[in-house]
Amino acid sequence: MLIIGVFVIYPIFAVVYYSFTSYDIVTPPVWVGLDNYAKLLNDQTFWQALLHSFTYLLVVPILIVLCIALAILVNRKVPGINAFRAIYYIPVISGSVAIGIAWRLILDTNGLLNSLLLAMKIINEPVQWLAEPNYTLPIAMLLTTWMGLGYYMMIFLAGLQNIPKERYDAAQIDGCNSFQKHWYVSVPGLRPQMSFVLIISSLAAIEVFNEVFILFGPSGGLLNSGVTIVLYLWQQAFRLQHAGYASALAIALLIITMGFSILNMRRIEREEVVG
Amino acid sequence: MTSSTPLPRKSGGKLRRIAGNTFLYAILTLVAIITAFPFVWVLATSLKGPTDAIYSVPPQLIPHQPTLDNYRRVWDQLPIASFFLNSIVVSVITVAVNLLFTSLAAYPFAKMNFRGRDAIFFLLLATFVVPPQLTQIPSFVMAVNVFHYYDTLFAVIFPSLATVFNIFLLRQAFKAVPNDLIDAARIDSTGELRIWWSILMPVVRPSLATTAIITFGNQWNDFFWPSLMLHTRSKMTLQVGLVALQGMFTSDMRGIAAGVVMTVIPIIIFFLALQRQFERGISGTM
Repeated sequence: MLIIGVFVIYPIFAVVYYSFTSYDIVTPPVWVGLDNYAKLLNDQTFWQALLHSFTYLLVVPILIVLCIALAILVNRKVPGINAFRAIYYIPVISGSVAIGIAWRLILDTNGLLNSLLLAMKIINEPVQWLAEPNYTLPIAMLLTTWMGLGYYMMIFLAGLQNIPKERYDAAQIDGCNSFQKHWYVSVPGLRPQMSFVLIISSLAAIEVFNEVFILFGPSGGLLNSGVTIVLYLWQQAFRLQHAGYASALAIALLIITMGFSILNMRRIEREEVVG
Repeated sequence: MTSSTPLPRKSGGKLRRIAGNTFLYAILTLVAIITAFPFVWVLATSLKGPTDAIYSVPPQLIPHQPTLDNYRRVWDQLPIASFFLNSIVVSVITVAVNLLFTSLAAYPFAKMNFRGRDAIFFLLLATFVVPPQLTQIPSFVMAVNVFHYYDTLFAVIFPSLATVFNIFLLRQAFKAVPNDLIDAARIDSTGELRIWWSILMPVVRPSLATTAIITFGNQWNDFFWPSLMLHTRSKMTLQVGLVALQGMFTSDMRGIAAGVVMTVIPIIIFFLALQRQFERGISGTM
């Protein structure tokens, strides 16, 4: 409890305090009032980062749909299914640094993807996948989806296995084909898991850092094309030593995640009343 | 109609099932290729000799001159063994102490009645919403100015010795244990600590195992915080070391690939060994 106090509760108050100061970590903080927040509102990079982080939320519905479909597939009891499940889980466990390097080998200007596309005569010139600002966010989002596939699949799989068999039998008697069976039984049965994944993955999307950092480095891609709020926070706090300003950023992020969670909780409560 | 009436099966069942299964396997294999291929490519690159092309049109997957030279080169130039040792030390200590602390904290939340219990627990849960990066600014300040453990392994271990998520998981597990067991012990005036250790802990062993695996994996793969704390090469964990390797071997793709393989293989083996336990655990926590 003490450790949580020191590393979770205390920091929240500390950050609130720092956000009203100018602080470079080495010399003591100097009170500057609301200066950091005023600067924040006029900071174009902040608004850009905010937009990027919200754009990132697009991965949430994609992940939910793909992972439910995948969970339904791997829930079939056919020989070798455990091996497939294990393979799908590899990206989840292998660590973001290793994954970043692996993908850079593929997406590099001289990398595998370009060699393949050149060989198949789909393109004539190598594409600068990692140096083209328009591709930065979509590529990072693709990586997020790829990394999350196995994890969320497992959660939905666990949910599927809790759905009573009788419901499927009943659906079959009512003349459902296998698609309808899943649409009317599996999908509603996975509601608790969907809420869980929705909350977890949208928080992760808003707080995304690793994927952008490992693919595009500390700068977050050319022309700030991949700068998310957390990446910007990291740059301010740990590269430029603007701990005060970074704290104001952190508070902005906290307000957003809190707003999100309240929205989500309202929605869950409402569903419980209705359903 | 009685419940034992067999369900109507669609006609042409067998042929249809074979066709269906082929289709199923085709999709499963496609997804498997998508998830595993980047790693296969890294493995292939790491085994390629100096005359094998890594960049060519069309791409070449199988090395003509397979060699372990790349591994030797990385091993000689970087203290990979100490990276490993550091990662193991950090992860094992974190798991052991974290589980002890969080299960102790979870017990009162699950099975004891005291004033404000639910309020405190709700407050703890609310910290879920706090972005981890927010807490890292003050944690960094404390590491430098208060604890003076900057650039030591302890700096990586200390902040993760207790986590809200694990308290939550273990509270769920404890809650599922029938109250009768505990009440019987309380009538025999067994102390709460003994109840926790000798009655509850053995019962929730599967949940403890899952929590342990999740914690181990998180700590093993953690990069953000260790990279802020560790700067001396001999003190780095694998993840931080990998980034250092990337910096050292900038254009030596074979070497970088060999480094990646060396760090990923152990964790994959670890997971495969515990897959059963892990799957059971996830269904237990939801």
